[in-house]
Amino acid sequence: MTPTVSAFGLSLHYGRTRALDEVSLRLTPGVTGLLGPNGAGKTTLLRVLATAAPADRGTFTVLGHDPSGAAGRREVRRRLGYLPQTPGLHPHFTAFEFVDYVAILKELTDRAARHREVRRVLDEVGLADVRARSVGKLSGGTRRRVALAAALVGEPAFLVLDEPTVGLDPEQRMRFRELIAGAGEGRTVLLSTHQTEDVAMLCHRVLVLADGTVRFDGTPAELAARAAGRVWSSAERAPGARAGWRTGTGGHRNLGDPPPGADLLEPTLEDGYLLTLDEAGTEVAA
Amino acid sequence: MSDDTWHVAEEDLRAYARGTLTAPLLWSADTHLAACARCRALLAEAGDPAALDAGWERLDAELDAPRPGRCEALLVRCGVPDHTARLLAATALLRRSWLGALGLVLLMTCVAALSTAATRTPTPFLAVAPLLPLAGVALAYGPALDPAYEMAVVTPTHGFRLLMIRTVAVLAAGLGVNGLATLALPGYGLRALGWLLPALALTSAGLALAPRLGPVGGPSAVAGAWVAVLLAADAARAAPGLPLAPFTAAGQGVSAAVALLGAGLLFLVRDRFDVCARGVV
Repeated sequence: MTPTVSAFGLSLHYGRTRALDEVSLRLTPGVTGLLGPNGAGKTTLLRVLATAAPADRGTFTVLGHDPSGAAGRREVRRRLGYLPQTPGLHPHFTAFEFVDYVAILKELTDRAARHREVRRVLDEVGLADVRARSVGKLSGGTRRRVALAAALVGEPAFLVLDEPTVGLDPEQRMRFRELIAGAGEGRTVLLSTHQTEDVAMLCHRVLVLADGTVRFDGTPAELAARAAGRVWSSAERAPGARAGWRTGTGGHRNLGDPPPGADLLEPTLEDGYLLTLDEAGTEVAA
Repeated sequence: MSDDTWHVAEEDLRAYARGTLTAPLLWSADTHLAACARCRALLAEAGDPAALDAGWERLDAELDAPRPGRCEALLVRCGVPDHTARLLAATALLRRSWLGALGLVLLMTCVAALSTAATRTPTPFLAVAPLLPLAGVALAYGPALDPAYEMAVVTPTHGFRLLMIRTVAVLAAGLGVNGLATLALPGYGLRALGWLLPALALTSAGLALAPRLGPVGGPSAVAGAWVAVLLAADAARAAPGLPLAPFTAAGQGVSAAVALLGAGLLFLVRDRFDVCARGVV
């Protein structure tokens, strides 16, 4: 399948801090999850791919357009929808006005056509009933949906979502997952998240980033399979385990190299993720 | 409905049916047609069915569209395209900061003008006036004052274009208010306009430095340099009654050169406004 996004050797430093180190990836249509701990470089990678910040080194293309020059960057942005980690919305705008404002910035200058598009995306994210309400009076989850509607204006082929489910209650998170799943039909979505459940439910592919480097690139099933034979239960935390935690049943779930005769468990995506971080030398909190 | 109620003119109804009626008449027609059965009936007779369907579709889309505010409507009446007017006027924060900057301009220029009358020299006014458009421009663009800055930066609208739209609007308003204040100083003739070239020089230099020092840092550095130049000129002045060097013919020439140099440099670094300012995360 022809990739929507191809990146080679992306590197970016903030002073002496290495935020990205030789990141290469190819993104194809569907939802790709980007997992990683805090400070792994997820937001930096998303901002680079969204053309918000240029990389120090490396190149990437979106649908064949190279954003290193002004003309190429404009072409990329015509195909881009971006939901930042903390999307700032003008609180005195109504939902309609804010999306309309972004639509103008996305070059939809014909008033009637633009307003039809604004209505379409607000309907798509389920905000038809609140489009006349001020953004400042909306709940956090609803504001996030307004920002998603703004990202969807113009039917972008490449959608970049930076932790869209963080801070949402379970019901809102489920609603947002439905929206992302819908948005992923027919377009390429890169979804940064801390939640392995998001990846398990939404993504056909997952990247694990740690210390600015891609540590894993494959399917969610392949990530879970990395922990096959390396997850076991015990009454107490196993001394040689790389990570372990008490479960709701009172026993312990351990990750690492099991002792002989250990009671092996079926690995989950989270097990594979934690072991990948451990192998990368990243401290695992559990 | 009584006969003396306003209705859309038949000629405008035909233009509406053809899809050629333009704002602000279009907005009036949209609003009126939603409530007036008589005009809807006339519209049905005026246009062909396909055009009429398109008109209803447009009307449907317009019913919950944002109503333009007074400032935006005024800009449209002055010939500014509606989408540009929205970029300028629809953002409450920008609108507030813009009006705040203008209010500041008015207040401080009046204070400066009053002090001028007492000291019989326009120097205080000439020293302060160039800083006010610069302050307005510094407040009109950037991550600190635009909550949607990061979302705006990654749209196809070039950041430099957005900067210029807002700068021209703020500068025009600031220079206009300064110009009105200048009219309060008729006794000084053209000398009272000595602020104009320094204002353009400071603004262009402040914007040219913005990619390196930030949208507020650049203008602040330039403002500091302007104050330092005035203090140095005051110390070097031969007699108290003489004009400061920046307001002499030679000084005005230097200001014009700086304005042109700053504009050229700004054009060269225009692409730096098309990505997020460093440090915005």
